[in-house]
Amino acid sequence: MTGPLGWLLLAAALFCTGVFGLLTRRNAISLLLSVELMANAVNLNLVALGFWRGDPTGQVIALFGIALTVAEIVVGLALVIQLHRHNKSVDVDDARELVG
Amino acid sequence: MMPLPLLVLLAPLVAFALVALYPSIRTKGTPAGLAVVTGSTVSLMAAVMMLVGQVGLERPIAHQVWRWLPSGGNTLAEVGWLVDSTSAPMLVVVGLVALCVQVYSFSYLHDEPGPALGRYFGWHALFVVAMQTLVMAPNLLQAFFGWELVGLCSYLLIGYWWKEPHVGKAAVKAFWVNKVADGGLLLGLVVLAGATGGFSWDPTGLDPALVTAVTLLLFCGVVGKSAQVPLHVWLPDAMAGPTPVSALLHAATMVAAGVFLVVRAWPLFEVAETTLTIMCWVGGITAFAAACFALVEDDVKKMLAFSTCSQLGYMVAALGAGSVVAGYFHLTTHAMFKALLFLGAGSLIHAVGTNSMKAMGGLRRSMPGTFVLFTIGGLALAGIPPLAGFFSKDLVLEALQHSGHVGPFVLCVAGVVLTAVYMGRALFRIFLGEVPDGVHPHEAPLPMMGPMVVLGVATVVVGFTGAGFSTLVTGSTAGGAFHVGAVGLAGLVLALGGLGVGWWLHGGGSIQALVPLGRRIESSPLDRFYERLWNMVLLAGAAVVAWLDRYVVDGLMNLVGWASLRGADRARRAQTGRVTDYVTAVVVGVVVVVHISSGGR
Repeated sequence: MTGPLGWLLLAAALFCTGVFGLLTRRNAISLLLSVELMANAVNLNLVALGFWRGDPTGQVIALFGIALTVAEIVVGLALVIQLHRHNKSVDVDDARELVG
Repeated sequence: MMPLPLLVLLAPLVAFALVALYPSIRTKGTPAGLAVVTGSTVSLMAAVMMLVGQVGLERPIAHQVWRWLPSGGNTLAEVGWLVDSTSAPMLVVVGLVALCVQVYSFSYLHDEPGPALGRYFGWHALFVVAMQTLVMAPNLLQAFFGWELVGLCSYLLIGYWWKEPHVGKAAVKAFWVNKVADGGLLLGLVVLAGATGGFSWDPTGLDPALVTAVTLLLFCGVVGKSAQVPLHVWLPDAMAGPTPVSALLHAATMVAAGVFLVVRAWPLFEVAETTLTIMCWVGGITAFAAACFALVEDDVKKMLAFSTCSQLGYMVAALGAGSVVAGYFHLTTHAMFKALLFLGAGSLIHAVGTNSMKAMGGLRRSMPGTFVLFTIGGLALAGIPPLAGFFSKDLVLEALQHSGHVGPFVLCVAGVVLTAVYMGRALFRIFLGEVPDGVHPHEAPLPMMGPMVVLGVATVVVGFTGAGFSTLVTGSTAGGAFHVGAVGLAGLVLALGGLGVGWWLHGGGSIQALVPLGRRIESSPLDRFYERLWNMVLLAGAAVVAWLDRYVVDGLMNLVGWASLRGADRARRAQTGRVTDYVTAVVVGVVVVVHISSGGR
């Protein structure tokens, strides 16, 4: 029994990939994918730690998390479509209406 | 069933609310007037029923209070009503005169535009509420509330024709002079509350020096409201308001509020010897001086206003002499005959179109009704039996004689002569002689005559209720032994002599003989002094405050605004509008928060 260390490292790697994508990408869909990676890293953590502790709660919450992520992605994709209709592009740097 | 005291207050209050809240009533004069007259009628009926209850043997006292601003076991004061043998007669006096005046106003002001008339009647209703609140107050604090409210109504009603510059000035003057006096009254209340923790007029257990201080401060308010020398200057100017307003507020009821306050708080005043002596002198001086002013006044309303000052002086002097019955009874009779005189003056002005007595003459033929009623009022004022003024003035003079204050007594007796002189002069001037050219007088219409007849009957009748009044107010039959003593007879002789002098002045062709005298005693030097004081103290103070406001307060405001603008201009550069920048900020923020929350490891 080596513990969940390997799984936790994998989750951390996934999370960092997500953050890296979030910081570097300009494409709105890529950003959504990055967010999804981060969310799945958290889910992986929940499942791994729950399994290690012998507690099913972690898996249950991971399922809830997946459902919530789906809802979030639906909203996000709708926003991307609106963005595309508005700007004829999905590059987030083209959307600068918030400039002060 | 609704308690009667509540009905007295609520009926006019409902009328006021209707007029104030419903534009369709307010902007048309007649519906507003009908609502207000209805309210006053109900109020008067309730007041009469309570007075009848007081006259009955059981002497019921309607007394109910609620705690005001309660917090924990403490309360700042109580509000409610106290209808006993002191307040019940005043309720009826106020209700009766108010109703008469409001009915009279319909006809007197029928040419006024609807919105202005609606406003006028609304304030009349508010005045009745305020005055009855003051009269029924169970403590001095509630009385103060009513006191200030009637002052407000006075200001608003004097300024009814506010588009005329002198009318606005008169209203502001009345307001300010009263505020100066009310400063003393308020201070008195604060001192009283500081010493006793309450606003009751019960002096038991109080230091005599404190009682003297409190009563003197309260008397300051009385001097202003009841137009005693040297604060009488606002009352003649207040005649700029409509004549019915002068009759109700500035002759019969509101100016008498000061006298009523002393009657109400009599337990306090009774034990303050010094205050009573001062009151006696102030009243006597006012009675004499104001009669002198009235002697040389040509404006019929201003003459009556000075006469009101003078008669209020009699009331204050009587109270100062220790006779609450004399002061209060003179208040009651004066309310009737002075309101009658003012309504009569309104009828004259309505017919002739000017206030000046020079433009009047020979009106007895064309205005017989007004002639009879105005003469009744005038003779009552002069103190001719069997009219009301004779009985009450006799009581006042007797009280002064018994008190041993020789100075005020002499002043008041001299005042009796002067009163008869100026009233006789006015009566002969207005009703005898020839009608001046170009004047085509006509008798007042029935809606104006009706209220005058009611007040005329009251003027004749009220004098005979003196014994009952005394029994009611003092609670014993001892004061009921009314008689006309040497003082009364002397007063009568003096009054008749005064009327004779009035006749001589009139027959002598003109008032010219009195003009130099008048120049010397007219009250305008005092006016000028107050004006200078106003300019020097108040306007200078206002200038300082204005400077502070403009450069210090506004400067601070501008500084804050300027700093906000500059700061915001800097801060807005953080908003690049690039999504990636925001995301970077979020990630950095999360890292920082996690780092801190994990204890910096």
